[in-house]
Amino acid sequence: MPDFKEEIRKRVAALQLSPPREAEIVEELSQHLDDQYEQSLNRGAIEKEAYEAALASLAESDLLARELKRVERPVRQEPLTLGSEKTNLLGDLWQDLRFGVRMLLKNPGFTIVAVIALALGIGANTAIFSVVNTVLLRPLPYKNPERLVMVWEENSKQGFPRDTPAAANYIDWRDQNHVFEGMAAMTEVSFNLTGTGEPERVDGQRVSGSLFQLLGVEPQLGRAFLAEEDRPGANHVVILSHGLWERRFGSDPTIIGRPINLDGQSFTVVGVMPKGFQFPRRTDQLWVPIAFNSKEAGQRGSHYLEVIARMKPGISLEQAQAEMTTIATRLQQQYPETNTSIGAVITPLQEHLVGNIKPALLVLLGAVAFVLLIACANVANLLLARAAVRQKEIALRLAIGASRSRMTRQFLTESVLLSALGGGVGLVLAIVGLDVLKRFIPPNISQVQAIGMDTKVLIFTILVSIATGLLFGLAPAAQMASPNLNDTLKEGGRDSAGGHHGNRIRGFLIISEVAVSFLLLIGAGLLINSFLRLRHVDPGFRAENLLTMKIVLPETRYPDKQRRTIFFDELLRRVGILPGVASAAVATDIPLTTTGNSVGVSIEGRADPAPDRVPIVITRVVSPDYFKTMSIPLLEGRVFTEGDKADSPAAVVISETTARLFWPGESALGKHLKVGFRSTSPNPWLTVVGVVKDVRQYELIIEPKPQMYLPYQQAEFFEPRALVVRTNFDPLSLAATVRQTVWGIDKDQPVSDISSMEEIVSDSVARQRFSMLLLGVFAGLALVLAAVGIYGVMSYSVAQQTREIGIRMALGAQRSDVLKMTVGQGLRFVLTGVAIGLVAAFILTRVMSTLLFGVSPTDPVTFVSIAAVLIGVAVLASYIPALRATRVDPMFALRYQ
Amino acid sequence: MLDRELKKGSAELLILSLVEDRPRHGYDIGQLIELRSRGVLRFNVASLYPLLYRLEKRGWIRGRWVEKPGQRRRRYYRLTPTGKRVLAAQRDGWQEFVGAINRITGIAHA
Repeated sequence: MPDFKEEIRKRVAALQLSPPREAEIVEELSQHLDDQYEQSLNRGAIEKEAYEAALASLAESDLLARELKRVERPVRQEPLTLGSEKTNLLGDLWQDLRFGVRMLLKNPGFTIVAVIALALGIGANTAIFSVVNTVLLRPLPYKNPERLVMVWEENSKQGFPRDTPAAANYIDWRDQNHVFEGMAAMTEVSFNLTGTGEPERVDGQRVSGSLFQLLGVEPQLGRAFLAEEDRPGANHVVILSHGLWERRFGSDPTIIGRPINLDGQSFTVVGVMPKGFQFPRRTDQLWVPIAFNSKEAGQRGSHYLEVIARMKPGISLEQAQAEMTTIATRLQQQYPETNTSIGAVITPLQEHLVGNIKPALLVLLGAVAFVLLIACANVANLLLARAAVRQKEIALRLAIGASRSRMTRQFLTESVLLSALGGGVGLVLAIVGLDVLKRFIPPNISQVQAIGMDTKVLIFTILVSIATGLLFGLAPAAQMASPNLNDTLKEGGRDSAGGHHGNRIRGFLIISEVAVSFLLLIGAGLLINSFLRLRHVDPGFRAENLLTMKIVLPETRYPDKQRRTIFFDELLRRVGILPGVASAAVATDIPLTTTGNSVGVSIEGRADPAPDRVPIVITRVVSPDYFKTMSIPLLEGRVFTEGDKADSPAAVVISETTARLFWPGESALGKHLKVGFRSTSPNPWLTVVGVVKDVRQYELIIEPKPQMYLPYQQAEFFEPRALVVRTNFDPLSLAATVRQTVWGIDKDQPVSDISSMEEIVSDSVARQRFSMLLLGVFAGLALVLAAVGIYGVMSYSVAQQTREIGIRMALGAQRSDVLKMTVGQGLRFVLTGVAIGLVAAFILTRVMSTLLFGVSPTDPVTFVSIAAVLIGVAVLASYIPALRATRVDPMFALRYQ
Repeated sequence: MLDRELKKGSAELLILSLVEDRPRHGYDIGQLIELRSRGVLRFNVASLYPLLYRLEKRGWIRGRWVEKPGQRRRRYYRLTPTGKRVLAAQRDGWQEFVGAINRITGIAHA
């Protein structure tokens, strides 16, 4: 008998009746047609005729529908149609979300572990991205900052690829170029600020009058400098930083036009800069006009300026560089004496301000991305394991008609929900972490205070979270949505999710986790290695129990050497008898705080070298007890004594490097040298009386350069500006007493930069510590995540092999065999991962070479030891589940399935 | 053949009459109409059932699935008390109507 149901269904479909009603109608009408068909046959019709007759009674195709439409009411709501192909995205999403939340609540353990892993990964990314965003991406707070460049003297021949320009060179550049709208010079200056309150040492800048206009920043109060104030005699005007104005002058708006006392001289306040303005250094508190005098404006031998310029619109960096090269070449020909090896080089301002930290930040950004990848792999693993548990549910839903794409969508919703949770917690972690992070960012990064969250960071976090959810959800979703229905629904099919396919994915995830964490660990290992080497570098002095401070005597109060000597002698006498003080000394500069104060020297009995070959020697002027106080070992001869007075023979103590370079193979004692580029210079010959060990004066990572020490009573060029005190206990506990001692001699004398030598050493490696600590933390995180991942996968795979293990043990396998088998499985993954990580590390660690010190990017010790650590952790992580496997009772295992 | 409009107007009356004495299923109703009218009146499926549903909805008849041994279940329609009153009224109206037509058209009583 033909089936008329279809025919009827076709005709009523358009009415969209409720399914039960439709079924009823179809049943009733088809019966009618069946009866009619049968009757026709009984009357002798052939089947075809009977069929057509029955169909004919349905009449025209739309009559039934038309008639029914008057009676029957279509269902208002979308019927719950199982397995429907129709999609209702929003409705589905809402349903999926609710279902997802229920699933997550049902498995709090799983949810917590996954959210923590994701939060760590996403939080780390958010935190590092906010630093990158502020330091590297956000435009500088100046007008058209992309057109601002720094201009340097290029003197690579003497080891200064970017040297601070001399004044006369700057003036020639400024007057001869056609590519810049303006050019301004700056140089550091410090003043003793006296008058109201305690005397204070404030750092600032001498700047060209046009600097503020060039940057495009207006003072908040008052005005910028006038062109005529940038001239000697008219330059006793000052612009205050917002911080100084607030702190020292109580934000007094009437400060404009009032005089303040700097180094005993009166300066008129003409402006106050807006909050947040810090240029060029964070520590700058005031600005005065640079106002070159004629002597300064004409000199090309002393290089101490920083020069900033604004390119004209439409001028490219290359054009500007080409123009500057042309001018520098002209100056070389014009002034062969001084400019032989001096070129000019420009760098974008942004690069100048962040250049130091950029490689570290990019490496860190890469590192946190890797950490997130590992977190993803872990969560994917968790989801895979859970997929096995949920396999029945899934198969059942598929069997009653859910579509695979619909199921995939639901699983992806679940994983994105998970990653959104992780992102939310991660954001909180990032906000907390950022405060900690800021403390480790080297202080010379000027935007450090501005680092924080903004919309860009939020968008970044949201995008990262969604992408993360899709990434770790995809593999399990794909696998979950396509199980073998038959096997799964059948009893005992509980292993189908752990089939060959699932194991392959799991293996792949483990291998990637291991490879990526190996890479991170290598990076961290190299940095830690560098840092340890850095900290073990002998600075040439003993930093413990050493108190340092700056005491700069103003020329107005101490105009001549005699008065300064009296002050320092008295200071050293009084400090020397303080309880807890072993010895005290003064010096021009404390090591690791200044890069400068070096002079060209001539050596007796040698022909004068070419101008660009003059030996440069770092010079420090010190009091006799300096070497004892700093614990700088004497190698030969003697150090200074009270006998090295102004009128006694001029003496000099040199460092071992100086001795080796100037008088190789012979004793330097008794030899002579003098300050000045030529042997004919009027400076006196100095007699070498002692040789001391090298001191790293500039930075720990810079090999010691030639240096010499002059007795402070004899030296003409440099004045002591720093006090060092060797103490018997915590040096900082003496700080207040020493300061009071200074004020006991001169109540208007500021004391600044009080710190222990250990702090100074530690600050000098802030940049390296920043990269090392962060990368170390991230690599540690990666290691933990990877270990958890390996543990999870091994536990799962052991649980799956319970039966196999049971059989083996029943057949006489020893526990050690089982252990070997399971650990061996884990080890295979790990070794593959390490091998891949090894290759990747060989390639990728090269980007870190600028961050390393004394270690090659492919340092074999680091590579081998990290591989050992990782393999050890991996073996441990698979040993624990393996051990559990051996406790399996064979009978139980066999019955179990 | 009766005109289509007429057929429609009288259809309700026919159905109500057929389920008056006992419940019948749709096919039965269709067969009886055709049989008793000697083939003059005939419903096709597409108009019979919508009509049945309409009457049911108005509460004049009521359908009920009935299972009998050895047979498929069928839906039987019976007249409700409301339907009974409607049928009586329609019968009167119909007779009045037919009488009036006859008087006008001069068709003699047989």
